[in-house]
Amino acid sequence: MTKRNKSMVQRRLIPSYIFLIIWSFISVFPLFWMITAATNNTVDISRGRIWFGTAAAENFQKLLAAQPLWKSMGNSFIYSIAQTILCLLICSLAGFGFELYADKAKDRLFAFLLLAMMIPGVATMIPLFTMISKMGMLNSVWGFILPQIATPFMIMMFRQNSRNFPAAIMEAARIDGQSEVGIFFRQYMPIMRSTYAAAAVITFMNAWNAYLWPKVVMTDNKAQTMPMLIANLAAGYTIDYGVLMMGVLFCSIPTMLVFFILQKQFAEGITGSVK
Amino acid sequence: MKRKLFAVLTAGIMAASLLAPMTAFAEAEGADVASEDENTLSVYAWDANFNIPALEAAEKDYQENVNPDFKLNIITQSGSSDVENAVTLAGQSGDYSNLPDIVLFQDHYFQQFYVSYPEAWQDLSAADIDWSDFGAEKLSFSTYEDVHYGVPVDNGTAIMAYRTDLLEEAGYSMDDMRGCTWDKFIEVGKAVYEKTGKYLLCMDGSGNDLPYMMLQAEGESQFTDGEPTFASNEKYIQIIKDIVIMVENNILYLGNNWSEYTDQAIVGDMVAGVLNGNWIIPTMEQAAENSGKWEITSLPTLEGGAGFASNGGSSLYITGNCTKPELAADFLAKTFGAGSTATYDAALLNGGVITCSAKAGASEVYQEGIDFFNGQPIYSDIVAMGANVPVVEQSDYHYACRNYVGTAIQNLIQAGEPTDESVQAALQDAQDQLAFEMAG
Amino acid sequence: MSKKGKGVRAKERRAGWFFLMPATIMICIMSFWPMIQAFITSFKSGKGAQLSWADPWNFNYSRILQDKIFITSLKNTFLYLIIEVPIMLILAILLAQILNNKDLRFKGLFRTMVFLPCATSLVSYALIFRSLFATQGLINQVLLNLHIISENINWLGTAGTAKAIIIIALIWRWTGYNMVFYLAGLQNIDYQVYEAAKIDGASSWKTFWGITVPLLKPVIVMTFIMSINGTLQLFDESVNLTNGGPANATITMSHYVYNMAFGQGVGHFGYSSAMSFVIFIMVAILAWINMKVGDTRD
Repeated sequence: MTKRNKSMVQRRLIPSYIFLIIWSFISVFPLFWMITAATNNTVDISRGRIWFGTAAAENFQKLLAAQPLWKSMGNSFIYSIAQTILCLLICSLAGFGFELYADKAKDRLFAFLLLAMMIPGVATMIPLFTMISKMGMLNSVWGFILPQIATPFMIMMFRQNSRNFPAAIMEAARIDGQSEVGIFFRQYMPIMRSTYAAAAVITFMNAWNAYLWPKVVMTDNKAQTMPMLIANLAAGYTIDYGVLMMGVLFCSIPTMLVFFILQKQFAEGITGSVK
Repeated sequence: MKRKLFAVLTAGIMAASLLAPMTAFAEAEGADVASEDENTLSVYAWDANFNIPALEAAEKDYQENVNPDFKLNIITQSGSSDVENAVTLAGQSGDYSNLPDIVLFQDHYFQQFYVSYPEAWQDLSAADIDWSDFGAEKLSFSTYEDVHYGVPVDNGTAIMAYRTDLLEEAGYSMDDMRGCTWDKFIEVGKAVYEKTGKYLLCMDGSGNDLPYMMLQAEGESQFTDGEPTFASNEKYIQIIKDIVIMVENNILYLGNNWSEYTDQAIVGDMVAGVLNGNWIIPTMEQAAENSGKWEITSLPTLEGGAGFASNGGSSLYITGNCTKPELAADFLAKTFGAGSTATYDAALLNGGVITCSAKAGASEVYQEGIDFFNGQPIYSDIVAMGANVPVVEQSDYHYACRNYVGTAIQNLIQAGEPTDESVQAALQDAQDQLAFEMAG
Repeated sequence: MSKKGKGVRAKERRAGWFFLMPATIMICIMSFWPMIQAFITSFKSGKGAQLSWADPWNFNYSRILQDKIFITSLKNTFLYLIIEVPIMLILAILLAQILNNKDLRFKGLFRTMVFLPCATSLVSYALIFRSLFATQGLINQVLLNLHIISENINWLGTAGTAKAIIIIALIWRWTGYNMVFYLAGLQNIDYQVYEAAKIDGASSWKTFWGITVPLLKPVIVMTFIMSINGTLQLFDESVNLTNGGPANATITMSHYVYNMAFGQGVGHFGYSSAMSFVIFIMVAILAWINMKVGDTRD
């Protein structure tokens, strides 16, 4: 392609660029405001200051004094990582089983499991709480993750991606004398790693951002998560917005980091899911 | 090769993750809050700047004067609703073992929670507490069929605060406001907004407490013998009409949520008057540039004469899960229940919590003039006002009622030009809705 | 088939069941069992834990139709569904289409920025939007300075604008999420199909409807089901942004169910459960219709 041609193509793309820039601005502006607000004090924020201020250090110190920031961060990390690993293992096993060993009975079971997605969370909250509490799992990582480690959506995602898994590999492995479980761990998991990455991003974000359920099962301050920390900052008769936004910032960084790090695999993994 | 490594790694991580949490967390963090050592009590509370300092004060008091080994494990909640939800969940599941020994509980909620979950509470009658030291109105919340369940903490007595400088600018003084009628208040409000651009009254429109306080100042309730009767109460119709008129004339500013009411209207210096439970004072004091310009008095009434009301306020209750009821009762009886100066003075100084114990209110700290309020000794004034608050019928459905009436007010504001008929119709709607809910 | 062959098949089938057992058991315990208990509760009435069998048996269910606020919440939820879901999905397809152009520069940067909102937690983003659209908030100040408005607009306090803000917030948060699925779907379409269409002289509008949409159909069906499911169970935005106000103008069904169970102190758990089941049935019916309409196999 000649240089002139290239610039023509770019010129035709100008409306696309404009649209993308506007949408990116809309997407990013509230987050940008969150970051600048974390560096301002309450008075400046309520007066609508958009740019960076000088109160960042002060807000940070106040946040440390007001709330157990590191403890909450640690809790959130432990719960989210545990949930991500277990959810990925259980749902990928199921997706593998549903797709590569498919028969009529399994298809019907799959359709039935999808119904679980449509139950409003509010309806099952009390029976679920009763169960978790009877099992003695309140304030524990199990109470947090158990209801979320097998979700119809994740099973669906792994099942659809499994269509890309070449049947020839399974046959070859069987001839080699590998067990079915061995095939899953030695063949399936490495080949499907981008699906795992995509599923990990989604599960981690959901676990990290969960609020209502953790609020219900984590009755002890020591088990507090980041969204709960923010809610605590936003409570009370008076609210310090600078400190609050500093908390929001800390709560947002990990999910964004996870997305940045796994971005490429995420896109690839999702791609697989719709083939 | 790479593949194999990946597989080994993931399998390893998964195996580890399956085992690790089971051993590490199930024991370490699953500790039952009620099973701490014999000198420790756990308590739920929700405001780090208000009631938590009060509890810390009581802990210190009890340590210094009774039991040096005593410890209070204060578990912070993000709001009073968290405590209510915790009791609900415990009650629904029939498993109270996860409640702390003591909860701080909103006064208006206790009655309905007692009816719904009687096992969640413990009788306090045996505790060594001189109940006559507290106002009858306050105790009417925490008793059920003459049995005491709660020890009062803060005092919900309503204050009507005015900016004296702005009143003056509009040609009025505090003397005009003391014991005035709502008609007079509206007249002053119009002048204040015209001259200064500030509202003479403000409230959170989504949790509107004005109707309740204004009606209590008339000595009446929205309920009669457990049934809502407000739609046929002429005083109430007049009150709601006045509220809508005040909004229309820029006398009353209704924020959309709590934050707009406190952070923008009050701290943001948009108002010349504040009416609410006295716990609103720390919020007002955040606007430090207006120090010395405020004074407080009682509420206006429809016919004139000082009106007294209360709103908010909470008490401490021993839960059904408490395994050390003697310690809990003794702790409450010797601190908050005894009008202990050590507890209440520190609670006032560190958290702005005002007592409803007459004995604690007599302490020196309470008699001091407060600079922010132009040297007025507001704390003793508030304790004195608290004694005059009329006891009115309480209902399980206080907050449900507030919501339906709040909706009616919003609708009347949207429609504009309220008449007795339109107000009556809107209130009838609200009352029907409430009756519908109560029938469930 | 030899005897040995059959044995292998049976072994495989057993292995298949073994693989999906953990997930099936977890879903049964953690979703279906609580659901059955909620279903039983939906035939009881009373305050808090003082529940007894409702009389008549369909007491809670027959109440739903007479409940003005439930009807309001139903209307609100469907308004969000009808307005927000199409706008969001069209925007998402449009963005995916643009980002799929191989001549576009800074693709990764744009993709990241478009996706970013969905990485923020619900608690955070509700707080951000509430502050931005407060009566004294930034949006009003900017509009005032640009002389677009002459006095502050009470965005969250007026029925129409409050609904609009919920819709805007939903679009802001979820467009990027859906875009990722479309983009993935588009990347599976061979680019040469487009080149061929271009040579044939098809307009980009025609290419879009003639090629992109049919090929994306399975993804579109999936995102539709996810969005319908998410919108009909919408809860956090209604609670955190507007608290259902003003005058229940923005309350959603799930929010009302929550209020009846937890929100106002008196827990009507029987009635809440009954309403939850009505929502469940609505979601299931809509998802079923969607799958039938979108089914490409027949």
